[in-house]
Amino acid sequence: MNSSKDPIIQSLNPADYLTLAMDEEIRQENMPGSLCGFALVLDSLPDVIQLTARISEFTEQFPLALASLQQQGDRFHWCQRTQPFSIFFQHKCADPESAGTFQQTTLLTLLNQQQPRETLAPLEFHLISDPNNTVFLLRWIHPFCDAKGADLILKYLCTEDKAQRTQFDLPKSESLVNVHLAKYKWWQKIALFLKAKRYITRLDSYHSIQHADLSHPPKQLNCITHTFSAEQSGVIAQQVRSNVGLTGTSLYYIGCLIRALHGLAPEQAGDAYCVPYAFNLRKQNVRTPLLGNHIGTLFAQAPKTVIANRIALFTHLKQQNKETIQQQLDYAFLPIMWAASWLSLKKYGSELRVSHGDGSERSSVWFSDIGQAEFVARSFFGADVVGLRHLCQISSPPGIALLVCQYRQQLTLSYNFIEPLFNEAQIEQLHQLMSQELLGAAS
Amino acid sequence: MKKKLRHFIFQELIFVADPDSFSDDDDLLAAGLNSIGIMRLIMYIETAFGVTLPDAEITVENLQTLNLLAQWIKGHQA
Repeated sequence: MNSSKDPIIQSLNPADYLTLAMDEEIRQENMPGSLCGFALVLDSLPDVIQLTARISEFTEQFPLALASLQQQGDRFHWCQRTQPFSIFFQHKCADPESAGTFQQTTLLTLLNQQQPRETLAPLEFHLISDPNNTVFLLRWIHPFCDAKGADLILKYLCTEDKAQRTQFDLPKSESLVNVHLAKYKWWQKIALFLKAKRYITRLDSYHSIQHADLSHPPKQLNCITHTFSAEQSGVIAQQVRSNVGLTGTSLYYIGCLIRALHGLAPEQAGDAYCVPYAFNLRKQNVRTPLLGNHIGTLFAQAPKTVIANRIALFTHLKQQNKETIQQQLDYAFLPIMWAASWLSLKKYGSELRVSHGDGSERSSVWFSDIGQAEFVARSFFGADVVGLRHLCQISSPPGIALLVCQYRQQLTLSYNFIEPLFNEAQIEQLHQLMSQELLGAAS
Repeated sequence: MKKKLRHFIFQELIFVADPDSFSDDDDLLAAGLNSIGIMRLIMYIETAFGVTLPDAEITVENLQTLNLLAQWIKGHQA
């Protein structure tokens, strides 16, 4: 493929450069870049003929799914490929003895696959089956879509009515960063820029706590998923309401995660936990699965001094979040995102990750609350959906990410971690602590 | 008041295919109003209508529909 001459279909928007910078950061660590996965655990093999036809229809409606991400000059673009290729693959377990581990091994192999950015498909579908059950994996790269976009793709695939499927589309407006910035006069943009800089400076006055063992280089992504029963999920929902109210669901999960991490190694060096979380500029319910990830990053930060007391921690996080919205710090990041999109990926990645205070990693753990899955079908092409899993590559450090999702009134936690910086035993211990926190048993 | 609320909600927070067919009694939370959206909405209300809405009153009962929302705001207007 001649990467300098392929026709441009669509240029990246300013928000896309944020996730692209993180893709580059991960690649610099000899890891596969910002690969993500949304997996449906099925009780049987779905109707493969119908599924194939629906995927084929999807690529006709969204030819961008077959694009290649290329750098031309200083900028990046989705470009047309010159050769046809497939994005739907089937993996069958031939050896009944390895049936128990086949799905997990295949999932992780796919998420750990290293490939140049230009040749990597932005989106792939994988059907992984053994004699017991099947997993349908949607694997994508940032910035092509985000977890909500992947959810919408699954919703598209499961929408039986063709007229309803045609309502899914690409974003109609220009970049939302530019749309929002256009509301401000030039001096207001400068004021926002300075406000965001002050916010980062304040954030960087604390040294972030890291739990990763950084004596070894990152080798591979692993993922452990736990789903709470409907009854337990109900208890957790009640805890959310009583501790943080209607506006703080994500903050409850973040607070519990901070306390669970602290419980893992209370003497860990550092002053505070710093947890980045995404804010999304797009409206809720927009049917734009692709190129709609207009996200930016804000941070929840909790000094060690407030962690011991659950109520104090939640009050602190809620107040911090309220001030963030009140002071419009989310919008304050827009001029920075716009300006940073013109930096080299290396410089942008460094700005995102490295504390201006002491030059260490700013984030203690990555976190994302995917919310209620839009994909609500019980049946996936004739197979029953019995579980969900979310996977994502992470930079090291922090080498750990928690992805939270609700499906059919059940809360699912997907712990993604980089080995050997973390190991399975540590993550299981973390989950035990996290469960106690979420259920309110650790008060 | 409801006209201004509608404009902000459908312009900034939630996508609905036909806002005119969304009644004042339809469920805003089911339509996609999420936690960060609620925070933004409250900040907007406090600025646009000159009221202070107590955190303890940010409940489903006050936010579920445009009618309930308007009633809640009116209860805090002098």
